[in-house]
Amino acid sequence: MRMLKLAEQILSKVPKVEYADVRIVEQSTEDIATKDGIVEALHSGQSLGYNVRVLHKEVWGFAASNDFSNKGIDATIKKAMEIANSSAKYKTTNVTLDSQKPITVSYKTPIKEDPFKVPLEEKLDLLLKADKAQKVSPKVVITQSSYQANREKKYFVSTLGSKIEQEIVWTGAGIEASAVSGAEFQNRSYPNSFRGQNQTRGFELVRELELEKHGGRVAKEAVDLLTADLCPSGEFDLILDSNQLALQIHESCGHAVELDRVLGYEASYAGTSFLTPEKLFTFQYGSPIVNLTADATIPGGLGTFGYDDEGVPAKRTYLVKKGIFQDYITSRETSVELQKINPKYKKKSNGTVRASSWSRLPMIRMTNINLEPGGEEGTGKAWTLDELIADTKYGIFMSTNRSWSIDDKRYNFQFGTEIGWEIRNGKLGRMLKNPTYQGITPQFWNSCDAICGRREWTVWGTPNCGKGQPSQVMYTGHGASPSRFRKVKVGVVQW
Amino acid sequence: MFGEKKLRQIADKALNFSTAEETEVLLFVGSNSLTRFANNQIHQNVAWHDLGISIRVVNDKRIGVASINTFDDMSLKKLVNKAIELAKLQKPDKHFVSLPKPKKIPKVKNEVYEAKEEELAKNVYLVIKKAKSNHLTASGAYANDTSEIAVANSHGVWAYHAGSSCNLSTIILGRSSSGFAADVARNVKDIDAEKVAMIAIKKTLDSAQPEDIEPGEYEVILEPQAVSEMLAFFQWYGPNARIYHEQASCLSEKMGKRVFGKNITIIDDPFHPEIFPMPFDYEGQPKKTMAIVEKGILKNIAYDSYYAKRYKTKNTGHALPAPNTMGPIPLHLYIKPGNKTRKEMIKSVKRGLLVTRLWYVRVLNPKTLNVTGMTRDATFLIENGKIVKPVKNLRFNQSIPEALNNVVSIENKLMRLASFEGELVNLMPTLHIKKWQFSSGTLF
Repeated sequence: MRMLKLAEQILSKVPKVEYADVRIVEQSTEDIATKDGIVEALHSGQSLGYNVRVLHKEVWGFAASNDFSNKGIDATIKKAMEIANSSAKYKTTNVTLDSQKPITVSYKTPIKEDPFKVPLEEKLDLLLKADKAQKVSPKVVITQSSYQANREKKYFVSTLGSKIEQEIVWTGAGIEASAVSGAEFQNRSYPNSFRGQNQTRGFELVRELELEKHGGRVAKEAVDLLTADLCPSGEFDLILDSNQLALQIHESCGHAVELDRVLGYEASYAGTSFLTPEKLFTFQYGSPIVNLTADATIPGGLGTFGYDDEGVPAKRTYLVKKGIFQDYITSRETSVELQKINPKYKKKSNGTVRASSWSRLPMIRMTNINLEPGGEEGTGKAWTLDELIADTKYGIFMSTNRSWSIDDKRYNFQFGTEIGWEIRNGKLGRMLKNPTYQGITPQFWNSCDAICGRREWTVWGTPNCGKGQPSQVMYTGHGASPSRFRKVKVGVVQW
Repeated sequence: MFGEKKLRQIADKALNFSTAEETEVLLFVGSNSLTRFANNQIHQNVAWHDLGISIRVVNDKRIGVASINTFDDMSLKKLVNKAIELAKLQKPDKHFVSLPKPKKIPKVKNEVYEAKEEELAKNVYLVIKKAKSNHLTASGAYANDTSEIAVANSHGVWAYHAGSSCNLSTIILGRSSSGFAADVARNVKDIDAEKVAMIAIKKTLDSAQPEDIEPGEYEVILEPQAVSEMLAFFQWYGPNARIYHEQASCLSEKMGKRVFGKNITIIDDPFHPEIFPMPFDYEGQPKKTMAIVEKGILKNIAYDSYYAKRYKTKNTGHALPAPNTMGPIPLHLYIKPGNKTRKEMIKSVKRGLLVTRLWYVRVLNPKTLNVTGMTRDATFLIENGKIVKPVKNLRFNQSIPEALNNVVSIENKLMRLASFEGELVNLMPTLHIKKWQFSSGTLF
């Protein structure tokens, strides 16, 4: 409450402008990483600061500081005003915001076990045991485990009259074994690569993962991959495990539907998008069973919160329904702009604006971008993975991302996974190393013919989504279940 | 700006609060502004100030690190105690010997320039004006960062450096094409915004109406920006002591052996006049000029104090901030120039591609340093020594060591290039590479 009052005090000092908001953000982090039985990183971090965002002369001004003295606050407000004034001299269009109701509310991530209260000894013990469990062969040259916990307290006030207090907690953990033989280098991770699984949950997530139990299996797979056959090249049916499909959604759908990117505001860095406004409501993005949503309300999703950084409530939005492109992820400013470009579009912001810290300008970010599971409205049969494999005459099953790359309009992508298995006559066969696949986004999603049901649907966390200048790293989520894609270009790279 | 004296007082205070066997203090103060433009208008104009202190303590080979963004006494005391508490719960690292001892730091001039919003906006407007007069759309960013970094430890290490950078980059969009250009300097007055605009505009106009081209193996001319984007991955995954000794580097076990073609010399030079100088690393150890690859032979890799002691060799001054799970990295690379002009290089290509930029490059296999990525912002077909037409973008899958073993010629001058933001600057020439593998095309 004290911080919310402070935010109000800062806002009260802002001169009369069209609109202003103030965000105070307090972030706490805890990171542990082990490598080869040694705790390589044990770090605790804290950061506290605030920003003032003003809409003045119909352009934005933004300044941020960690100096909470009266002098510091005055200087920050002055800077935000100066910035708006200097931009106004060169403006060619005016910023307009959609209308929103004022909100006074508080939101807290529901967690069972506060990760910051779990004794450090216990965390170290858990990670070192998981690290040790990977030592199954002399060919395993690197064993690693990692854990991270984050708490973000946000205090938002605006001249609309909103007063919002939020506490977001997210936790993550994972293991990774690397095996080497001559020029061959193979990795296996659990439950996912690049920092494991991450969710807006407490330490209960880490306990559920049972890292130690999976250490031996993961390491053995890394060793087996050293002598596994190369993934064959050709056009084959492809089944993607949910952890790989999550990143596929992130890159080829999530980024493509960011409205700021579509309108050209990211052109100078991450690029634009093929999903241009005239495609709304008509473009066949995927096959009729493809339903993609942006849903910031899913319990535990890494992109789950109460209110975005413009004070708009978290929402669930259909981006693609029965294969047809329906909506973008939007902000208060871009939703108005879109209505001008495509008069059929009538919606206000769907609440996806977030900033990575107090020092960064809020921008459109993915929330939880999901492929809705099979067996629900318009998504076809609720397959199980076993049924899906049994139904595939010849194909490849790929799991766990190893590499990813996509062009700057989000058409041509290539992914590599840690591991693959050949499917022959409905049965999982030989293990395959260095699997890769490549495609063009709408063609790929139109080849989707089967999606597993909710029982195998997981909301995977992607804690490292980069966007913007200055760069911002955001935590996002992706719900997915194993799914099949027909005739995909597989095994494009051989090494 | 805090200044050296004030930062030293803060560091001394933190060191005095510590009861640990060894303590290290890393201080950072930054002031930043960035004017971003798109659709021929400024759409984001921001400024922020921040500071940070990170404490690393060691007790009986147990290491703890804690950080915060305030310098008041109470916070410093709490921070030191937090790091000590973390270290107490740590397991001893048997490979850790000690924090480094003081060494003489080379003198480097602290050059700081803080730009005014108006200066950035004025130059951005110039780029926009040029784009508009060519019926094109400008996007980009103009950033000004000033920073102070200081390192102290309980063995008497003290190092301080202040610097700034001004970095203008633009992508100019046409109906069917785009072009990129950028410049980086210490001071706004050293950036020629008009020149940056005209380079990008020319690329955009020249690459309009690109045609489809079959993927496959091509000879390529990689412009400096593309070379830099390729080399970034060599920089992180190649001469890095951690990855090298894990046997995961493409250079592992190849010290003193031929790794690239005889015409390739790669140097890490933190004092090169064209690269922003940085006299010490994040452990306060002196940096020095070091050949990584000389005439194709691997000569040196990057070490920090931990890996140098662990593998009984000299610390090369390449530490990153603790805790560092990435390993030591050389951050001031350049490729020694050759003897051809870019025109001559293009003239010598029978059939190949001129690639101006790479995009979304990712490592497929660190051991072979196979990477994938796309071309971006203007790609051209060369036939019989002449640029004949723009082509649509292509995906490549290419081993970097193979590419550097197939360099036909190197441009006779280097271009200063910055990362999208910050002070990471390197110097690169244009490279003519005999074989480059393109695996598929895209729709633009």
